[in-house]
Amino acid sequence: MRRFSNISIAAVTAVALLGGAWLLRSGAETHAPPQPSAAQARAGAHVDRPAAAPLPPSPPDRVRIPSIRVDAPLTGLGLTPQGSLDVPPAARNNLAGWYEAGTTPGEKGTAIVAGHVDNAEGPAVFYRLGALKKGSTIEIERLDGTVALFSVDAIEVYDARDFPDEKVYGAARRPELRVITCGGGYSAATGYQGNVVVFAHLTGSR
Amino acid sequence: MRTARLLTGTALAVAAAGLAAAPAYGAASGYSSASASPDPGSLEVYPATVAPGAEVIVNTAACGVEDTVSGDAGAVGAGAFTLVPSAHEGNAVGQFRVPPSAQPGTYEIVARCSSGTRMAGDLVITLTSTREGRQQVHPRGSVKTGVGGALGPDPVQTAAGVAALAVAAAGGTWLLHRRARGDGI
Repeated sequence: MRRFSNISIAAVTAVALLGGAWLLRSGAETHAPPQPSAAQARAGAHVDRPAAAPLPPSPPDRVRIPSIRVDAPLTGLGLTPQGSLDVPPAARNNLAGWYEAGTTPGEKGTAIVAGHVDNAEGPAVFYRLGALKKGSTIEIERLDGTVALFSVDAIEVYDARDFPDEKVYGAARRPELRVITCGGGYSAATGYQGNVVVFAHLTGSR
Repeated sequence: MRTARLLTGTALAVAAAGLAAAPAYGAASGYSSASASPDPGSLEVYPATVAPGAEVIVNTAACGVEDTVSGDAGAVGAGAFTLVPSAHEGNAVGQFRVPPSAQPGTYEIVARCSSGTRMAGDLVITLTSTREGRQQVHPRGSVKTGVGGALGPDPVQTAAGVAALAVAAAGGTWLLHRRARGDGI
């Protein structure tokens, strides 16, 4: 009496063959990060809606974007010698940063948060940033214990060769937030060709 | 035995179909929670440069969870203050107001854990209003926040796929072996 029947061996073989084929195929597929549609861009003439009253300055501690399952600590960022915004250490896939010499999130002006879309191992903290929609909420937990709540106004993609510095980093008359990650096209030679930039304004705090 | 042969044949056909069909795949989600802590032993002072009358926040990760943390801004004339644990694990945060009469200069702000560790950070007082009056330096250009690592093959999945195919090969060989021995296949 044999321990295994031909049928059971054949069944296991078939399942392994199928499963292995599926794993190899899906594992080799490219998983490009989601990119915002044109509908998420700024609509025509841009009129600032009134924002909530500014909060006193306080460094931020954590960023949360519930609709795309982001919940990450924030580290301080400076500038590179070329004057561009520095980035958090790439090895930490769930870490974002904020521009420390600028406005703190909740204060009047433009606060800047940036994080990686991916690192060498795979997706990182802002992998799904391009899937954000207008009106989504961004929560910034601050060291003074308050949580600043922002509402998304637009999600844009800008080419690195023609980056609108003033629009992205320029001063604002109300408390605003930018969340930046890599995006646009990707080429093996030059990497990501631009950035996904989320524009948001303060709607309240708790 | 006809059944077994039929099964093997069907399995091969289905497997071939599986190779051709495009599989659905859910986006990878690996959002583990980690915390960014400042250097232990240091006291972060924010803003590091202020005008008299301004509110200052200090923050440290050097104390244990059970520790109470006391701060001393006596050097700048603001007296003692308490640091309380923040929502951020391991961090203690305190706040004080610089007296309007404070003189320009650099002052040492001190904090102590109840376990004895002492931390210090510098606070610079300037008479010109710094935050509102200061011309902020804005970053320029795009940000390098990706390398394309999400785009390549997933090594874990590839390894699992190779392992599964190895099992299938072993199973197939076993069946062929039985058949060669005339074990009733």
